[in-house]
Amino acid sequence: MTSRGINGSDREQAERMLDRIQTAVDEGMPFDEVRAALFDLSAAIDRDSDLAPIADRISVLAAALGADSVHEVISMVRALVVSPAGAAEAPPEPPPPDDVAAYAADQELGAMFVAEGLDHLATIESTILQLETAPDDVKLLNDVFRPFHTVKGNAGVLGLMSIQEVAHKLETLLDRVRSGHHAMGPAEVDVVLKGVDLLTLMIRELPARAAGQVGTDVTRRRADLLDVVTSLIENGPSPAVHEPAAAAPAVAASGVSSPKADRRDDNQSTVKVNTRKLDALLDMVGELVIAQSILAEDPVLVRSRDERLNDRLAQLKRITSELQRNAMAMRMVPIRQTFQKMARLVRDMSRQSDKPISLVLSGEDTELDRKVVEHLTDPLMHMIRNCIDHGIELAPDRAAAGKPITAELRLSAFHQAGSIVVVIGDDGAGLNTEKIRTVAIQRGLIAEDAVMSPDAIHQLIFHAGFSTADRVTEISGRGVGMDVVRRNVEALRGRIDIQTAAGRGTTFTIRLPLTLAIVDGLVLRVGAERFVIPTFAVRESLRPSAEQVHALQGRARMVRVREKLIPLLHLGEAFGIPDACPRILEATVVIIEDADRLLALVVDELIGKYEVVIKSLGDAFGNVRGVAGGAILGDGRIGLILDAGGLLALSGAGVDAVGTAA
Amino acid sequence: METRVGIAGTDAARHQPDAGGKYLTFALGGEEYGLPVLKVREIIKAMDITHVPQVPGHVRGVINLRGRVIPVIDLRLKFGFMAQENTDHTCIIVVDVVHLGMIGVVVDSVSEVLNISGSDIDQAPDFGDHVTTDYILGLAKVKSSVKILLDLDRVLGAEAPVLAESF
Repeated sequence: MTSRGINGSDREQAERMLDRIQTAVDEGMPFDEVRAALFDLSAAIDRDSDLAPIADRISVLAAALGADSVHEVISMVRALVVSPAGAAEAPPEPPPPDDVAAYAADQELGAMFVAEGLDHLATIESTILQLETAPDDVKLLNDVFRPFHTVKGNAGVLGLMSIQEVAHKLETLLDRVRSGHHAMGPAEVDVVLKGVDLLTLMIRELPARAAGQVGTDVTRRRADLLDVVTSLIENGPSPAVHEPAAAAPAVAASGVSSPKADRRDDNQSTVKVNTRKLDALLDMVGELVIAQSILAEDPVLVRSRDERLNDRLAQLKRITSELQRNAMAMRMVPIRQTFQKMARLVRDMSRQSDKPISLVLSGEDTELDRKVVEHLTDPLMHMIRNCIDHGIELAPDRAAAGKPITAELRLSAFHQAGSIVVVIGDDGAGLNTEKIRTVAIQRGLIAEDAVMSPDAIHQLIFHAGFSTADRVTEISGRGVGMDVVRRNVEALRGRIDIQTAAGRGTTFTIRLPLTLAIVDGLVLRVGAERFVIPTFAVRESLRPSAEQVHALQGRARMVRVREKLIPLLHLGEAFGIPDACPRILEATVVIIEDADRLLALVVDELIGKYEVVIKSLGDAFGNVRGVAGGAILGDGRIGLILDAGGLLALSGAGVDAVGTAA
Repeated sequence: METRVGIAGTDAARHQPDAGGKYLTFALGGEEYGLPVLKVREIIKAMDITHVPQVPGHVRGVINLRGRVIPVIDLRLKFGFMAQENTDHTCIIVVDVVHLGMIGVVVDSVSEVLNISGSDIDQAPDFGDHVTTDYILGLAKVKSSVKILLDLDRVLGAEAPVLAESF
């Protein structure tokens, strides 16, 4: 690599780099290394030169590089490098312009088509993966066929001819399968998935193209795909598109299985709603509930002996709480869709790496706040790539170790103690403690003679400096990017843990608190202020007696609960609340817990247990230590939601929940 | 950035007093101030404010505005006046600030909406180091009094780092 960077005058140098990559690809370089090499190429380009625009395009292409698109991506990069000016302005052969013109003719209808079309394609993708494991299921087949038909029809109505043609071709293939003229094999699944990818790309880029931007050149992909479908239709089952025979056994063994094998309810129809409108509705419902409770507690009404009035108030209360329950449920979505995406990833990677993998999903119906789901996809993909690249051994190695050839990858989700837990486990080789140690020493993370427990060494993979990639755009690859995973999880106020056993596999556990959703909270009073502490963080509460409280340097510092000394944090003092009860013996102590550490909060009194909606304090406040957000309480005022982890950090103390008494 | 109803001035610099238009005027520590009316979302009666720890004193805390949590700033404290108990006239003016969204501002009392023409607005004089005039759009001469017209994006925009990194 050059130090001054590649610029327009030595475009040949970029070409030479690309040639080297091409040669390596032909020699069987794994696709993640191809991706890294392309990133290197992009990075080598001088950002001030006339080649700068293509540097970004290359890194975008590299990021999108998948197991089965290596050749396509390389040829696209080559087109850019060879003729950067042309590539930047117009692709060599622009895709049929009729689509863009047709879309631009009626943008409103077009936007609707895009949204619906992408939904249909997502349905097709997840259904076809199920169909692969149960090829005789007529219902599943129909579930794949129908959305294709709809996409084709809608594209036709709008005049999006090139999209219509692809959808039509695939529909024809599926129709032949439906009528029993054709068998549904791996090649058919493959071509349908490729078709879904292509259509997704074409549809997604429509709005940008209509706005005058240059999209991806799909001419060749489209022609190839149509050819493969045609040959499939004419000749019956044929080998897969780009990867011949070798990959087939992996697919046969790779499947998605779900213990319950449940299927989506057919009658479940949905409506798309702008999230801002939804949030506004939820806010208003919250206010309605508050208005109702203020009304119900009005002294005049409380004193009233009018039975009819009381009945009507009770009816109002029932309706508002039902409305609130329904509104709350609207925030939550099942994790199913995210898991389906992983199923596709596992299938592709399984074929590419020639490692037969069976993916076992459980808890797809576990509901999460939709914001959590949105932010969970990337970290999960990272981790699954890592599991398959590094955790799971090649088939011969597994056989030698006496393991089943088909590896098992488990993906499950469940609720536990107020958290959502997502577990990714493989039965692969486990983390290589010595190798991690060596790398950490090389990178200067630990001293050469550092004495560390295996667990502590394993934690090093989450360290930012451990990553071998120095760019954030890196998707995954060579044991890299786990720090990004951890950052993403922590941004959701979650935590990630590893358990690993040499030769038996690795399990990652992601624990996400419900901070973005509703939380069961204990409402506390300190002075005139009220606070909410999530009940999952509360161990117990007590009124301490004089002999339980231990002072250091004249001030109450610790409380002794069943032979354990727990540090005290006077919330009134810590938060500067003027009229807080200063005397601990007249106060209430709430023992809170976070990550197995305990802290005793001194508060004036406990008010009760409520379900509250967590609201962010907004950008204006950034991060207030010890506070996770705000909750609107029964009287319409705001109570701050306490964050046990932050309070522990604030107090600088805390005591291990496990372990012996001090 | 600023919502100014400009009338005059072609090459007007940022602080050039060309900001004629409608202003909501209010009282603060015996002085009269004005805010561009387009910035004002609503005016509410003083209400209980939830204290937020680890923030500067003039940040009074947060209130619930129909389901939204919004921060409240006490302009008295911000401008260095003595703190004062709420009276019947104390109000919270809810304004829309660039980058920060809705923010409540506590003022002593709200007066009226005035239409001030650009020619009645002077640039704030330079008082030297000890008086910051950065966030003054201009001084408006209205009859016998002078109203200080505030550029709220600047008054509160300066809060952004303070609030965001409050610990």
